[in-house]
Amino acid sequence: MGFGLNQQSLNRRAFLHKTGLGFGGLALGTLLARENRAAEGGWLPPTGLPHYAARARSVIWIFLRGGLSHMESFDPKPALNQYQGKTFAETPFDGINDPEKRRRVRVVVVNDANGQQRNKIYPLQVGFQPGGRSGIEISDWFPHIRGCADDISVIRSMWTTDDNHGAQVQFHTGRHMLDVQEPSIGAWVNYGLGTLNENLPQFINIGPRFFDKRDGRYLGPAYDAVPLKIDPKEPLAYARPEGDLSAREQAAQFDLIGKLNRFRATEHAGDQALEARIKSYELAYRMQMAVPNVVDFAPESEETKRLYGLDVDATKPFGMQLLAARRFVERGVRFIQIQHGEGAAGEWDAHSGLKANHTKLSRQVDLPTAGLIRDLKMRGLLDETVVVFATEFGRTPGSQGTDGRDHHPYGFSIWMAGGGVRGGTVHGATDELGFHAVEDDHYVTDVHATLLHLLGLDSHRLELPDRKRLDSDHGRVIRGILA
Amino acid sequence: MMLRIFSSLVIGIVLMCPSARAEDLPVDAGQGHWAFQPPAHRPVPALPESSGPAMPGGLGNPVDAFIDSHRRKRGLSAGPAASRAVWLRRVYLDLTGLPPSLEAIRDFERDDDPTGRQKVVERLLGSPQYGERWARHFMDIWRYCDWWGLGEQLRYSQKHIWHWRDWMVESLNSDKGYDRMVVEQLAGDEVAPGDIDTLRATGFLARDYYLFNRASWLDNVVEHTGKAFLGLTMNCARCHDHKYDPITQVDYFAWRAIFEPYHARLDELPGETDLEKDGLPRVFDLHLDRPTYVQIKGDPLNPDKTRPVEPAIPGALGFASLSIRNVDLPSRAQHPSMQPWVIANHREAAERAIVAARKRLEEAEQSLASAIGTSAVDRARFGKVAAATALAAAEQRATMIAAAFEADVARVVPAGTAPDLSQLCERAARAQSGFELAQAEAGLVQARLDKLLADSTKEADASKKLEKAAVAWEEARKKAASPGTNYTSLRGSFKALEGPDETEASRTAPYPGISTGRRRAFADWLVDRRNPLTARVLVNHVWARHFGQPLVAGMTDFGLRAPVPEHQDLLDWLALDFMKQGWSLKQLHRRMLLSETYALSSAPTGTRDSENKYYERMNTQRLDAQTIRDSMLHLAGTLDLTIGGPTIDPTREDTAMRRSLYFKQSPEDLHKFLETFDNADPKECYRRAESILPQQALALANSKLAGDAAVRLADRLVRRGAAGDGFLATAFETILAVKPAIEEMQTCREGYARLLEASRQSDSSGPEERARAAFVHALFNHNDFISVR
Repeated sequence: MGFGLNQQSLNRRAFLHKTGLGFGGLALGTLLARENRAAEGGWLPPTGLPHYAARARSVIWIFLRGGLSHMESFDPKPALNQYQGKTFAETPFDGINDPEKRRRVRVVVVNDANGQQRNKIYPLQVGFQPGGRSGIEISDWFPHIRGCADDISVIRSMWTTDDNHGAQVQFHTGRHMLDVQEPSIGAWVNYGLGTLNENLPQFINIGPRFFDKRDGRYLGPAYDAVPLKIDPKEPLAYARPEGDLSAREQAAQFDLIGKLNRFRATEHAGDQALEARIKSYELAYRMQMAVPNVVDFAPESEETKRLYGLDVDATKPFGMQLLAARRFVERGVRFIQIQHGEGAAGEWDAHSGLKANHTKLSRQVDLPTAGLIRDLKMRGLLDETVVVFATEFGRTPGSQGTDGRDHHPYGFSIWMAGGGVRGGTVHGATDELGFHAVEDDHYVTDVHATLLHLLGLDSHRLELPDRKRLDSDHGRVIRGILA
Repeated sequence: MMLRIFSSLVIGIVLMCPSARAEDLPVDAGQGHWAFQPPAHRPVPALPESSGPAMPGGLGNPVDAFIDSHRRKRGLSAGPAASRAVWLRRVYLDLTGLPPSLEAIRDFERDDDPTGRQKVVERLLGSPQYGERWARHFMDIWRYCDWWGLGEQLRYSQKHIWHWRDWMVESLNSDKGYDRMVVEQLAGDEVAPGDIDTLRATGFLARDYYLFNRASWLDNVVEHTGKAFLGLTMNCARCHDHKYDPITQVDYFAWRAIFEPYHARLDELPGETDLEKDGLPRVFDLHLDRPTYVQIKGDPLNPDKTRPVEPAIPGALGFASLSIRNVDLPSRAQHPSMQPWVIANHREAAERAIVAARKRLEEAEQSLASAIGTSAVDRARFGKVAAATALAAAEQRATMIAAAFEADVARVVPAGTAPDLSQLCERAARAQSGFELAQAEAGLVQARLDKLLADSTKEADASKKLEKAAVAWEEARKKAASPGTNYTSLRGSFKALEGPDETEASRTAPYPGISTGRRRAFADWLVDRRNPLTARVLVNHVWARHFGQPLVAGMTDFGLRAPVPEHQDLLDWLALDFMKQGWSLKQLHRRMLLSETYALSSAPTGTRDSENKYYERMNTQRLDAQTIRDSMLHLAGTLDLTIGGPTIDPTREDTAMRRSLYFKQSPEDLHKFLETFDNADPKECYRRAESILPQQALALANSKLAGDAAVRLADRLVRRGAAGDGFLATAFETILAVKPAIEEMQTCREGYARLLEASRQSDSSGPEERARAAFVHALFNHNDFISVR
């Protein structure tokens, strides 16, 4: 299968658009491409304009690495207390062995020490209460998020197929790690939407990234996440000239670099790396001022800082990341991906000592996350920003060892809030023991489909001609949570 | 907590496990798998006449012949050749990691000698920079990592592991056979136990040392010996039988058993008694009889003691089994203090101390002679006494060392031939207590002097110290009255701690007199010509670095999951040839670099082979981190080409001008500039990533490193007479190795004019100088400077 010369010339044209060749200064190719949209039939790269009316323009993606217990967060299951210590067979609920549902999981390591279902029911390690007017039940580890219950839409019927932490990659790309890998949702958004601020990356990753460090995949490195640290002492390495170059001199230098590189791009049309490098220079030049400004929290009021928990050690690191995320959203960044939980597997991976683990970690994220929702709301930004709060899988209703829970891909919870999402909603359900997603169940790409829908993008129209995607890659929009 | 750590380990393994569906794969034991069969002899296809000049001697280059036969089968053809200048820059960077000078480019362009390319390759292979460039590649594959720890506490790898790096550089420069390099790294202590040059190679295993966890240490050894030498993911079989490859969990632990006895130690080297300052990190067999057990589900806390495992290699690779024989070690390997330089080191150190003490005594005498006034004379007299006692102590040290050495020797010689050992021990103990007393005396006198000289603010402190010194002296005096027979041997070596709780005392026990020979047997098996993997894996690594893509995509996974490679005929031919040529890396480079395939242009060919599987063109590669830095400094004329030696602290990255491979590198010691450009992860890096990030643009545009190099290069060009347009063109060609096209020259002129205008506003005194430097700096940021076209 080849596309021959036609494809070649098409690529070349697309390439010239993207690199802004033939136009002076630092203009971004995507801006130019907009004007040329629909000029010809057949496939064209995205124009940067939504395919239809968007409900939101940015995404803040919060991801708890390791696996948050759904029963002890957003899907409380009092039956676990009632049947504690019993085996599943000793309860009236026998649906858990539904072979159709059990088949969903694709085991990575056979007979691994982890990733096993545990047969002895482990009681809830924390209480729960209804929150807000909607009365969504949320555990006492997340009291502040519970205070925002009327703004969030909890999906209690997620499932995935990886029983190990490769599920982190899967949640971002939609593919099991034993499959061919796809771009992550952030890369698709970056690819599909034009920039709203040429001074900042459109797709930012903060915190330890999931295993597979490449986000752009076949879309190319230009659509990969730009990793940033939120460290006011050094927000960006080499952010200003270490020599005595003046701003004018540097502007002239970057201009010359851009022109010379673009000249080479005609000789090496289709060179994805060169295209990405040209863009990275344009972005770098503008970023060196813009990024340190975003991470400089001096202009924020004390009240705002407290909202994010910047005054308390436990909440400060995550709070700073979320405050930075809001400031990035204000400046038009499309997708900010924040990964919480250090370590290879992710810190939430509570195979033992679940109570201590989740108590400590929920404290780090609960207040700042609620602060983010409130802050966005006060500033009128919540209407145009989607906040996603997710994890790769839940944890087993049965106990692992004496005080832990194992990985649980059959049913778990996430929530979304913001532009186009109906707050105060509970969508889908797991069975009485929190085992299987039994009502309105959703595979992880349904979250991607929902995000793209809210951003006004049609994933089928983003597809590359030689990279047809599966239906399961596209996912289905979760209509039940839309406003 | 344990579970958490364990879980992470499992995850690490999961991630490295291959990505394919188990059900799609054959279930037999790998009998028919291509990579487990020996490379087959294949005739070199005939080259058609149109496919470029033949090699001298009339034979076409086999690389071209194989590649071209694939292209022709698919109706594809080679694109145009790269210009001579582009070829030259490519081969310079590939072999030395440094770009050619402008003069070298011009000479080569003018040279019409048909053996011109060959001459260049020979010259570069013969330059010492070749060894540095390729040592860095092997530092990736063999996981070079400097020590790290907490303060001075060693936790990981070994101090002075750079000796192993120097061994790599030297071995590569002397074209030591790869087979020998493998043997020396795995079993240098067994094949050449008395040769410190060879022992350096065992840094490969000493580097895996981990203070806190022997299980994860040996897991790393199994995983990375499998990946580096055989392209096998042994690690997937730790917790369960391998999902794809014919490797069982028992195979995994049998492999581990090869390494079960080994441990790390630090031996004295000629010229240095202080092992903190220098020493030879190396390995040796310590636990000769320690059993290896299968760990249930890979849990180190849960060994199956009913199933001890003997050292062996997986049956599926069983062209031969291991032939293990004990190795008798020479006495000096067992007793490092008997190395001739150890006593010499200590004598010289004692001698130096005496000379220094004498000098201080002379100075004290002079002070006394020139002192005026009663109190000054008193002080000076006291000073002289202090210096004299210090000298006495220094002289006693020499006596002690001589006595200790004599007793040490007596302990080592075969029983029956020994002189009266107890008498010698007694003498050594007496000499030691005598030295300690003299030292205590010197301390006491010095403390008195300090108190005398102390002003009111320091008096209390000085009194306390004096009290302490008096107590120490009293103890030394008692000891000297009955010295006993215990004395401190000249150690000559320190065993690495076997865990955080081990005491210093047990580190100096004598080492075993034999080695199990397991590692030597394993290394011999690896480089047995019948081994189907070793040569192929190496050829693939070298190919990937020259051609920008490997012949076998998974460089560490030649297992059942690896499909038959497109160019298996070429891979096999190169592997067989490599072994036939005595595993010579330089010969392998020649095969590849003197091909017409290597000389192709990287410009797009408008082909349907969009992934360039059939090499219609060359692949563009981004320079690796080290080469970017070294190239800038080299063009600037500031690169210090000194070879070898101790590592340089990366905090000196702005001022240290040595080649990048000499910076200390560990997870704790990172070089900021190099990290920005995808530096090797010292824990695992079989192939560098080539990310493209705005941070890289900032590093090149804003770092002092790039800015300073630009100033230097601009200055260099001016001093060589470049001016006006000539400066712009010369700078362009110097940095990018090609002449600017007409439009590019116009862009350069306009760009320079803008820079000059901006510079006038910054500094009216020397705007041209500034603008020229800024222009050169811009070219360092050019995509084609940080790429090999």
